[in-house]
Amino acid sequence: MLRASVAAESAGIPSATLVCESFATLAKAASQGLGYPNIPVAPVRGHPGLQSKEELQQNVRELTLDGVICCLTETPAMATVGGEPGPRDVVCRGSFEDVNEYFLKHELSDGLPVVPPTIAKIEAFLRHTKRKPDEVLGVLLPDSRAATVWSVAVNGVMAGCRPEYMPVLVAAVEAMVDHRYGVEHSGNTPGGENLMILNGPVIKQLGFNYTQGVMRDGFQANTTVGRFWRLCLRNLAGFLPHKNDKATFGNTWRVVIAENEDVVANIGWTPHAADFGVAAGQSALTIARYTGGNHISSVSGSTPEELLPYIADAVTRQYSWQIMFTVGQGYDTLRPLILLSPILAETIAKGGWSKARFKQALFERARMPAREFERMLRDWTQKPTWNLAEEHQAGRIPQVFHESDDPDRMVPLVWRPEDFHVVVTGDLGRNSCYVFAHNGVLGFPVCREIQA
Amino acid sequence: MSENLYEALWPRGPRQVKVKPLAKRLDTLEGKTIAWVWDYVFRGNEVFEQLEESLHARYPGVKFLHWDLFGNTHGSDERAVVANLPDRLREFGADAVVSGMGC
Repeated sequence: MLRASVAAESAGIPSATLVCESFATLAKAASQGLGYPNIPVAPVRGHPGLQSKEELQQNVRELTLDGVICCLTETPAMATVGGEPGPRDVVCRGSFEDVNEYFLKHELSDGLPVVPPTIAKIEAFLRHTKRKPDEVLGVLLPDSRAATVWSVAVNGVMAGCRPEYMPVLVAAVEAMVDHRYGVEHSGNTPGGENLMILNGPVIKQLGFNYTQGVMRDGFQANTTVGRFWRLCLRNLAGFLPHKNDKATFGNTWRVVIAENEDVVANIGWTPHAADFGVAAGQSALTIARYTGGNHISSVSGSTPEELLPYIADAVTRQYSWQIMFTVGQGYDTLRPLILLSPILAETIAKGGWSKARFKQALFERARMPAREFERMLRDWTQKPTWNLAEEHQAGRIPQVFHESDDPDRMVPLVWRPEDFHVVVTGDLGRNSCYVFAHNGVLGFPVCREIQA
Repeated sequence: MSENLYEALWPRGPRQVKVKPLAKRLDTLEGKTIAWVWDYVFRGNEVFEQLEESLHARYPGVKFLHWDLFGNTHGSDERAVVANLPDRLREFGADAVVSGMGC
């Protein structure tokens, strides 16, 4: 909303941004990063989602109306953005405890102790990349800060990474700045969290866990690189809880997971990164945001046909409001992720199914009645009208969503089979899977190669 | 035993944006054209309808541009919609913009 208002202001057209009262702090913080620290907002009382029609109308008349008029006719006081230290400025001299107190006080830390980023430690990281320290990898909203190779090293030090992880850290931030990912949405209310998935030789070279407990902390590479991501969101993008980060509940950062490429090769499947066009033998990192997930225990059967119903049912049950990223708020941006434990993938492959065949089967089986799909879009996303027939007739969605006018016809969660992402990882001896609920356009999957 | 001392550096990336001036505000809304711009959530359409009614009562000559002229400002087309917004606003003769819903 503010970005649209800023577009208008930049064109010489005054704006009023409608902001719920509890979002005023967020709006103030975001406006600074957009270069308009005094852009005015008009308050919206409470949250419209919980008000009757009469209450909403009354609140608009009593509060929002005057706010809009004020925004458009009264010139706000000038405002400035305070200065900050430079990237190579020493901001704290002292003991480990002193440094950590300073970093906590100035909101530079996630609450866990950080490794003090000293010149010597930063330079140790920089020796593991050919990139110039001052190279700008991109500019990150909401603060509009430059993500430099130097700042990647600084936050890698703080997170407790080893210097040799530097190529992975650079690739992670290169993915973060990719506009398809949409890092600017990282502070939105669903509070989804990013997941990094590793492929390639770097997994074994750097000691990433790719077997039992792959999503558990306790493995330095997986854990610290995961923490690094969240520190970058804080220090490079500017997402601070109670300011630019408006997660309703939020998630803790996720440890990095790595695919079990030995198993993938043995069953004749291709690694996850290959689905993004990465060549075999090339290390790569994939990111996407997920609002949650569920462990699906004890998937049983001796053939893929026997296993599929349980898995497809689990996938379908992970998705409710998120289908607005299939039809609606983010057309064709839903990419469900399924982690298969190795013996589960082996059993599916033993039945003659390729990964593509498995995805096709999911596409055909993980469906819901059209009437349910439309009801969720209408009732849960608060868009005036969603109708799959009209959407198809208007050319906005494919025919698979409107094969007939039967309201009980089964429609898919995604537009095409390859929209399902499948990764083989986890305990070698357990027959389970994990299904992630994807956040659509608010964290679209992006893959970057990792360059030594 | 002596305690280690550290010289810790600033970890944030440098800000890249300069403060810019706001557009000149209007002397009145009478006779002006207000564009509704929406992210398609949180009943913005209903809020706009009520605002239209209330604004029209105070400024009988005020005119409005419907939100569907501009597209969804928070969907998969957000970047394109926002980038095109200045041209679209000029094309339709908007004097002011009301953008919602930040909730």
